[in-house]
Amino acid sequence: MLKVDTKDKETLFDPLFRAGFGFYTLIGVLLLVIAWGVFLYVRQIILGLGVTAMDRPSYWGLYMVNFIFFIGISHAGTLISAILRVTQAEWRRPITRIAEAITAFALVVGTFQILFDIGRPDRLLFVFFHGRLQSPLLWDAFSVTAYFLGSVTYLYLPIIPDAALMRDNLPENAPAWRRTLYRMLALGWRGNRTQWIRLERFIAVMAVLIIPVAVSVHTIISWILATTVQPGWHSTVFGPYFVVGAIYSGIAALFIAMTVMRRTMHLEEYITERQYRNLGLIFITMSAIWFYFTYAEHLTQAAGQLAEEWPVLAAKLWGQYAGTFWVMVVLMIIAFWVMVIPQLTPRSWGRVPVFRPRFTFASALVSAAVVALLLAPQAKPVVADISSVLPRGVLVVIAIAFALLSGISILPWLKERLVDSMVIASACVLVGMWLERWNIVVPTMTHPRLIPYSAYGPSLTEWSLFAASIALFILLFAIFFKLFPPVSVWEVMEGRIIDQTQSAAKVPLPEPSEQRRPVPSFGSGRAGD
Amino acid sequence: MNFPMENPIFQFLYWLVNTPGNGGIAVGLLAFFVIGSVALALRWVATGANVDERETYAYPTPALHHAPEPSRPRHGVRR
Repeated sequence: MLKVDTKDKETLFDPLFRAGFGFYTLIGVLLLVIAWGVFLYVRQIILGLGVTAMDRPSYWGLYMVNFIFFIGISHAGTLISAILRVTQAEWRRPITRIAEAITAFALVVGTFQILFDIGRPDRLLFVFFHGRLQSPLLWDAFSVTAYFLGSVTYLYLPIIPDAALMRDNLPENAPAWRRTLYRMLALGWRGNRTQWIRLERFIAVMAVLIIPVAVSVHTIISWILATTVQPGWHSTVFGPYFVVGAIYSGIAALFIAMTVMRRTMHLEEYITERQYRNLGLIFITMSAIWFYFTYAEHLTQAAGQLAEEWPVLAAKLWGQYAGTFWVMVVLMIIAFWVMVIPQLTPRSWGRVPVFRPRFTFASALVSAAVVALLLAPQAKPVVADISSVLPRGVLVVIAIAFALLSGISILPWLKERLVDSMVIASACVLVGMWLERWNIVVPTMTHPRLIPYSAYGPSLTEWSLFAASIALFILLFAIFFKLFPPVSVWEVMEGRIIDQTQSAAKVPLPEPSEQRRPVPSFGSGRAGD
Repeated sequence: MNFPMENPIFQFLYWLVNTPGNGGIAVGLLAFFVIGSVALALRWVATGANVDERETYAYPTPALHHAPEPSRPRHGVRR
């Protein structure tokens, strides 16, 4: 029988067998949203894709945006977990399971978007019956299949010892089906030396193999777009741009998921600020790379001003998609600000009365009001308003100034709250990355090559299926973490021993490479010096 | 031979990438090999329990990998 620490058992195992009113309410609400989505999906199957807003030439819309978004989120887990495992980053241990679960469930939900998009679900089989190896759609089926199977395996492998721990430490009131479940999943695990060595070798091999597969998945999704000659898509930078965006949104999803688990299951002693700080550094790096790629992508389009590409870019910069484009940019700037600037702020700023959240709120309100004034329809000449008194340029400056004031006055508050900062930044990044997918797919679809332009706005069916997809993702996540501990128990136990050993070790002084000659005392010099 | 399609290798490659259904076979083969490999590897991990080692551990440490080799397996004995 494998023994587990009492505290680990109380914190990680026992809550899995308690479900309160809140949990059942959450499940009920999620099921309602999913049921609404199922109803509209069945209606879509019966009535056809005409119930969506997709039409010539916008063959792809919200479903495709969601597909790219969810597959991007799936990079949270396996890729990040695998990279951290390969590089032996010890701090990864408490967050790997949450990350890997995100991957598996995001892939499931992402694949559903394809079913929604093709209308008749039976046509998905055509990819396999009639698929040709030259088709990027087939490459996508290939890579997503490999990634899904690899991710599920990679999620399951560390569960084996934990399932055995649960099998051997179940509370007395545990239902019989759960005993059977853990016994089956444990695969007769004893935890002897040979089993550990074999399991760790298997995990190590999977960690190495999964990295190129994960990179290939989002690269191939980008190639579905980039191998066409549609304006705005035919870009060589799309592969790495998509991969960077996927990792970026994946980390954001991971931050939010791990914070939710940390707060609901009281895992503050397991998921500490160390995880937030270290993962935050990767987050900041991905943010910088994302800005670089976004700028490079749009710069080349702007500089070229090709006849077919220019309308797409113009639609994004000041046309019908300017709203989604600039909201994306602003959200990403806010995320970068929230992540980076508080770390550069002196702690003493917190004592200055201006640096208070209420000033932030007030400044943000003023800035939002001015922006609303700027975006409002122009007043008729007979009606005087502030925009007719002040030039629009002045209003823009005022809006930016108050937004900056808002951002600066919140800095000490953010500096004291690393976890909250990361959650705020992650929320901005998740919404921003969804908008980025929208800005990539929809403007090109509505401004295609050789076909008259069109407009696209998702229908109720599309929005509902989007909501149902998010609900399904949360439902899978909630049920999974009612069955398995959110933290890989054996990995945390191992990490604890390693940390204790390392903290007990005394690092000696470095070996001197050169010994300085003793300085001769004054007056001891040779004669004649 | 100036035209590449006269070369049997290019003819084969053309057939490979352009024939409908080949892609499905490729995905099927991939799924078969991945699932098969994972199943075999899981079996390999599970049969590690048959090795005659008295000590069991709730968690490993790097030192476990450098511990002395176990005694010979108990053939045919499964716990």
